[in-house]
Parts: sequence; structure tokens; C-alpha cells
Amino acid sequence: MSTNVLICDDSNLARKQVLRSLPESLSTDVQLAKDGQEALEILRRQSIDILFLDLTMPIIDGLGVLQALKDEGIQLPVFVISADVQPEMQSRVLGLGAKAFLRKPIALDTLNEHLRNHGFL
Amino acid sequence: MNAFDLTEDQHDCLQELINVAMGQASDQLARYLDTFVYLKVPSIEQVKAEHLFDTLNNDLKATAVVSQGFFGYEGIRGEALLMYQPQDSNRLADLLGYEADELTFDEQIIDLSSILTTTFLNVFASQIDNQMSYSAPRLLSSSLDKINQHLKQQSFNWDFALKVRISYQVTDYSFNCDMVLLIPEEAITNIKTVIDRILADF
Amino acid sequence: MLDALCSNILNRLNTGILILDKDFNILMWNRFLEVHANKSDKQVIGKSIFAVFPELPRKWFERKLSSVIQLKSQSFCGWEQRHHLFELSHSRPITTDSDFMAQNCTFLPVEVEGEVERICILIEDVTDVCHYQMQLNKVLQALALSNRIDGLTQAFNRKHWEECLAAEFSRARRYKQDLSLVMLDLDQFKLLNDTFGHQGGDKVLIETAKAINELLRMGDLFGRYGGEEFAIILPNTNLAGAEDVAERIRQTIANNAIDYKGRSVSVTVSIGVAVIDEQDSRYEDLISHADIALYKAKNNGRNRVCVAEKRNIL
Repeated sequence: MSTNVLICDDSNLARKQVLRSLPESLSTDVQLAKDGQEALEILRRQSIDILFLDLTMPIIDGLGVLQALKDEGIQLPVFVISADVQPEMQSRVLGLGAKAFLRKPIALDTLNEHLRNHGFL
Repeated sequence: MNAFDLTEDQHDCLQELINVAMGQASDQLARYLDTFVYLKVPSIEQVKAEHLFDTLNNDLKATAVVSQGFFGYEGIRGEALLMYQPQDSNRLADLLGYEADELTFDEQIIDLSSILTTTFLNVFASQIDNQMSYSAPRLLSSSLDKINQHLKQQSFNWDFALKVRISYQVTDYSFNCDMVLLIPEEAITNIKTVIDRILADF
Repeated sequence: MLDALCSNILNRLNTGILILDKDFNILMWNRFLEVHANKSDKQVIGKSIFAVFPELPRKWFERKLSSVIQLKSQSFCGWEQRHHLFELSHSRPITTDSDFMAQNCTFLPVEVEGEVERICILIEDVTDVCHYQMQLNKVLQALALSNRIDGLTQAFNRKHWEECLAAEFSRARRYKQDLSLVMLDLDQFKLLNDTFGHQGGDKVLIETAKAINELLRMGDLFGRYGGEEFAIILPNTNLAGAEDVAERIRQTIANNAIDYKGRSVSVTVSIGVAVIDEQDSRYEDLISHADIALYKAKNNGRNRVCVAEKRNIL
């Protein structure tokens, strides 16, 4: 069975970085969004198994997406991948229901560990 | 379009490198100052020498500008300008943890500028396997008139520069400051080479 | 071999190098510092930097170094902000007036396996730079002053005086404050010049300016408006106050003859006074009202003060 993955980041490079970091053992069907609004449109339309979410983005930022998911009752595991690694930001993100906070640039073993913890591997 | 323009991919890559540097630098800052630094998407654009003053002036009605040169391997070099607004000056000593009478205003903004510039550029450099050195930070002026004069009187020996603007907002102190990195022509070419190498990996 | 060469070079550098551990004890320094601090290795190595250099501002210094350790990034202290941190002798003791070496200091973190274990302080002697910058500043200040001052009378020159008026005018308008203007002209100056020569005329201008200056308050702005015409900006002063000042000036000048080469020269002035009015939109309006009053004083027989007529509100 394949896992539906959504990667939301305003940077093409960052999206590719996440894509490349996904373990081969995880068979995936990947969609990309370049801001929070695009991501929300996809999330409202179809069921996604895991969302990789950037924070600092135009239009709707990562915090905005988390808030919208909460308000609209859309439940799925969200891994925030952000350059903004201030402790206060981490606790805000986790407070809004994100499952994991990963710092950029993404570290492979940390990503794998979180995927394993949440039963994706 | 000219030789110093960035392609869409190069722009995207540079922006991501800056994002990561900004994030880590502000984390260090936040821990050091015990506050939260609010981050915005940085702006990257090319400026012509004759428009430098106008673009800086539009960005911010700055009353103090601190300049610090940076230089690394592979010809990556430039000048960082830290621009402050007048009403923020008295919040600075508080922010830096100095006693009010220990420091003059000039010394405070030079200190803060140096912290902002070096923390940011250290992380930026480490991502591109580089290492930066810095000149001593200098207060160009603490009055807008003089900055005007300073920039207008100069005939620059470059035509284009790459301008990266990053805004720092320290929430607890409602203190704002803009960091403008100006990268001269020949260094733009060098940065493009480095970016292309990173892009080639993807 | 290379080590010996490096240490040889370190000891011949004209830059001070000081290496501290995290508790601010001195681990190493080079000859430059040894010589300029005039202390021996024995007095210094292994000792706290605050014991060796008691002049250091301790709290400031600790905070500075803690930022270097915590942020793993270098920090600076330039002579323009602090002339010196360390009380060191310098290499121009004869030809500059500096007691201690002016310094640019750089604080570098030295990392061992990712943690800052040591701090390297580089101390550059910038006594020369500092000396010449000070000289330059003095010259620039003198130049700026001479750009504002009329060389003969030491009053502001017309250009600077008008700039002052423009600023005071907009301030008075903004804060709805009074602002008065006094314009005065020496009577029969041409005759005086013909009688006593230009040097005599100059002497009269100098003495008149001096007399006026002594009657003014702090904040009043006195300028030479033209050949024998002077003007005074009186911020926060109403018409009655300005008229009072003008009358005192008139009397003082009329009652004190000027001595020129043993001859007594009697001088009088005609004065026009105006106060800012709601209808005045530009500072030039104020000047022309005072000017009209001045001509009235002239036409009415000189040696008198005339006040600009109250303008009717349209």
C-alpha cells in the first residue's frame, strides 16, 4: 500500500531536499505545494497520510496551516520542517498539534527516527 | 536580464540557504537575548549603483547604519549594513543585557550589529562549506542626513550589486532592525558558481 | 621548524595577541603585549586577566566574552567607542598627546570539537589613526563653523541665519508658539564710511555686532543680513517682548559712541520688529513684514523702533 505524502514549502530546493530524504522503503505517492493555501486546498480535497510542512512561507504560513487543520478538524500527522528553530517556535508548533519538529537542513537519521516512531516504517 | 541576474532556481536556492541561516541565527540570538525573534521571508533583488541610496531609503527611514565587511573563500564577499530606527535606540541596552550607563548608543548598535551579522553569515557560510572573516563593524552615521551625504557623495566602482534584505523583529522588546547584505558584481558570479554546485546535487 | 617560525612571527607582529581560557585566565600572550604592558611572563601567565589589567571594565568585559562563547562568533571593540581597553604604552609617545595606545580589539572564539574553549583577543595599535581622525574632526568642526559665521562680525552669515529662521518658523507654526523677528540697519552708514574710511566702517560693524550680542539671550539667533543690516530671530517671544529687546538695542548703541583711532564715532540704528502671524505661510513673509517696519523707522527719522502693523485676518 502506498503512502500519500504532501510536501509544502515555498522553496523548490527545500521540497526536493525532503523528497530525496524520504527512505526508499517507504513507498510513496507524493504531492507538492508551494504555500500554505495550496496545501490546504489539497488537504480539503483528499486524504493525505503525512504532511511535511515549512513554517516561513508567503500567503498562509506553516502556523496558519496548523491552525486551519485544527479549526476544520482535519486530522493527519504533520512533520514541521523549518529553519526557524527557536524553542518558542517549536513549542508553538507542537502546541498546534504537529507530530514532529525537524530542523533544516533535514537530517536523514532524525527523519527516519520520527517516521519509525509514527509507524510509517 | 544581465550576467548578474539569478535564474529562478538560483534565486530559490539562495533564498533557502538564507532561510536556514536566518533561522539558526535567530535561534542563537533568541537564546542569547532570551526573547523571540520573528522571521519574515527575506527579499533578494539586484540594485544598480545609482539607485542604492533610494532603495535603502525606501526600505526604512533609518537613523543609524552600521557597516561590516565579510569575506570568505571562493571570492564570496560583501558588505552588511544594519539599519536601525530612531525610536528603538533606548531599548537596546536592555536587550543586550548591559547596564544603561555602561554603553553609549553607538557602542550598543555596533555590538548588536556585529552579533546579527556574524551569527547569520557563519551559518550561511557553513552551509556552503565556507568560512567567513569579518572586518571591524563601523558606524557610518547616526543621522539620516549624514547617511544621505555619505552614500550620495560616493561614485561607486561597481554597477550592480545583489541586495538581500532580512528583517529582525524582537517581539519582547518590539525592536526592529533590517540587515541588508550587499554583494558586489564579481562576488555575485562567485555565489552563482557555488549555488550551481548545490543545484547540481539535485 | 614551522612552529618555531610561527612563534617567531607572532612575537614580531605589531598586533597584541592574548589567549584566555573560559575563566578569563591568561594562557598566552605575545611579545607586543609584554613590551607595551611592561610586565613579565611570570606576572601574567596563568593569572586572571582582571588581576593583570585591573583597568578593564569587568562587567562589560564578562558580558562581551560571554557573547563570544555562547554565540561562537567574534566580537569587536573599536577605538571610536572606547579609546582603549588595556592601558598600554604606544609607539608615538612624543608626537601625539595620547596617554595610552588607542586600540581596536577583536575577540575570537577558539573552538575545540565544536565548543568554545578559549578566547583569542587581538589588539591593534590605532593610535595613529585615532590621532589623525581627531585632527580631521577639529578641522571639520572649524570648517563647519566658518561656513556659518560672518568673518567680520562673528554673527551668523546670511545663509545660515536664514536656515535657522526656516527651522524656527516651522517649529513655531507646528507648536503654535510665538516667534519674533528684529531687523536693524545702521543709520547713515555710507556717510560714516566716507568719513572714516572702510576700516572705520568695519570697526563700527564689529562693535555694533558685539553690543547687540551682549543684549541677547541664549537661543536668540543673530545674523548679518546684508552690508550694514543685521537680523535677530527671537524664538518664543511675543511682539511686546521683541519690541523691548529692540528698544534696548537702539538705546545701547545710541548711548555708546565707538572709539576709532582716538576719535569718537556716534552711531544709531533703525529697527523693524514683526511677530509671526497666522497668515504667514513662509518665513519670507515674516522677513518682509519686519523689513517694512524697518523702512518705516528709517522714513520716520531714523534712530527708532517701528513695529509691523497688525495684519487683518482675511
